[in-house]
Amino acid sequence: MKRYVAAIACGVIALPAALDAQGVQFTVAGLASQEIVQSHIDATSTRFTGPILGLEGILTSDRLLVRVRYAQGRINPKGGDGGGLLGLGTVDPREVVEGEALVGYRATQWLTLWGGPSARAYTMGDSDERWLIWTGRATARGTLLPGRMQTFIELYGAFSGNVGDPPLHAGGRGANGGLEVRLGETGSFWGRLGYRMESTHASGLRETVESVTLSIIYGLPQ
Amino acid sequence: MNRLLAAGLTISALLAPGVTAAQSASALLDQGVRAYSVREYDGGAWLLRRALAVEGSGALGMADAAKALMYLTATEVARNQRDSAVAVARRLIVLDARYRPDQRTFPPDVLAVLQEARRAAPTVSIRASGDTAIRPGADAFIVRLGATTSPEVTAAITSADGRVVRTLYTGSFRDSIDLRWNGLDASGNPPPDGRYAIVVAPTAREQRRTGGGGGTTWSLRLPLELAHPPVDTTALPPGPPDSLFRPERGDTKGAMRALAPGLAAGVAIIVLPQLVASGDRASSARLIVGGSVAIAGIAAFLSRHPGQQLPGNTQYNRNLRDNWRRNAAEISRRNADRVRQAKMIIRPGAPTLVTGETP
Repeated sequence: MKRYVAAIACGVIALPAALDAQGVQFTVAGLASQEIVQSHIDATSTRFTGPILGLEGILTSDRLLVRVRYAQGRINPKGGDGGGLLGLGTVDPREVVEGEALVGYRATQWLTLWGGPSARAYTMGDSDERWLIWTGRATARGTLLPGRMQTFIELYGAFSGNVGDPPLHAGGRGANGGLEVRLGETGSFWGRLGYRMESTHASGLRETVESVTLSIIYGLPQ
Repeated sequence: MNRLLAAGLTISALLAPGVTAAQSASALLDQGVRAYSVREYDGGAWLLRRALAVEGSGALGMADAAKALMYLTATEVARNQRDSAVAVARRLIVLDARYRPDQRTFPPDVLAVLQEARRAAPTVSIRASGDTAIRPGADAFIVRLGATTSPEVTAAITSADGRVVRTLYTGSFRDSIDLRWNGLDASGNPPPDGRYAIVVAPTAREQRRTGGGGGTTWSLRLPLELAHPPVDTTALPPGPPDSLFRPERGDTKGAMRALAPGLAAGVAIIVLPQLVASGDRASSARLIVGGSVAIAGIAAFLSRHPGQQLPGNTQYNRNLRDNWRRNAAEISRRNADRVRQAKMIIRPGAPTLVTGETP
């Protein structure tokens, strides 16, 4: 996994100069979030919390956009109403890896439509749980101070998806919103405070993910 | 028979429509010389005057013009038009002060007229090459003055109304001198299109020396036509339209536009859990984030309330104006460069001599 992270980091570092020459704008961001996952298996619920770190990149060419995001971390059980996820007396912490690859179309200056896969994998001891959801999204942006401060809200729903092996049909929906502030008068760095809530479900399974994310963004947030 | 031949030559010259101007001038000269040789003086005079009247690229060259003037002098002598012959001989001397006619071709009375004209005319001649294109300030248009003595003259470019545009030379010279005009007037600017002349005249001291106050004065005049071909320049960009400028003071509409997205996003974040996962207990993080966004919207509203100075917009507008000014200045500079690099066409005409009694 570390090799993947290193490869993505190298790509993010090397790509900007090449893209700039092609007239393609880009933004890259480093993310740090506190994630709360509520996992429901039939009547059993478990709550996990933990930090997640990740990277995000967006390429923009006129009205077309491509967004990729990758994050990983470790979440630990907190509270819970007994039983544990695997029917054992204790609940194991989870290694979380999540990512998305979306293609967007800027319909208006303030509205962008997205589509693409979103994935999350939990590793719990020797077993794992992999969610793959195909989503459609709409992002609205509003300007508070031109060039200085803006807000965004993103809503999304699942077209299709699956979880586990053998795969179970899965669905879900989510939302994301927050505030972006330019760091400095004319600098290229922005800060973002975001809140995300999403819920995915399959037969007998439901995962609700809530996160507060702080990001440092290089380039104009799109 | 000879008269018939000359008449035929004259008529053929009149009726030859297909020849170009250059061919016409040379052909007219040849026919005029032939007419003189067969003693058809009236037709010859007409042909030679026509040959000398051709202007532009088809005009006679220096040597041919001198030849035409010499034969016209001889023709006028033969026609007993002595005054006219002297005038033509003066033109010849002006054109080429050192002209030496063939002693075997012309009778002594013709050579005597030429000598008389040489004595009466100034000893200065003026000669220019044909049409010339120069870059004003960079190249030069060259005129050669010739003299058999060492006259003290002044040479100047004059406009059609006689105003001196630029003095080219003042002083004496021996044999010949090249006058170079860089195409600029006395103030360093290219003169506008139009008719000008290079006028060469003796200085007051030269007039006193040669005329003693009771002789004749003279001036040589070389007409010039100046033309500037059109230069391909870029139009200056129009100023930025008002729609591009941002308000420099806050107004109600702008304040509301700053407030609305902040409040809407803040409220949306707070109610998100109810929309997405109503069955789960959401943390208070949404209140912190949603509240921050709403407060940012209120802060933006306050910073843009009516009458409030908006430094960011003021700076943006200033940059917009500055960029336009820089752009316009750059285009103006390029246009000026193109105009400066553009060539000016100088078309010299036939030189003329003007004489008059001094007071």
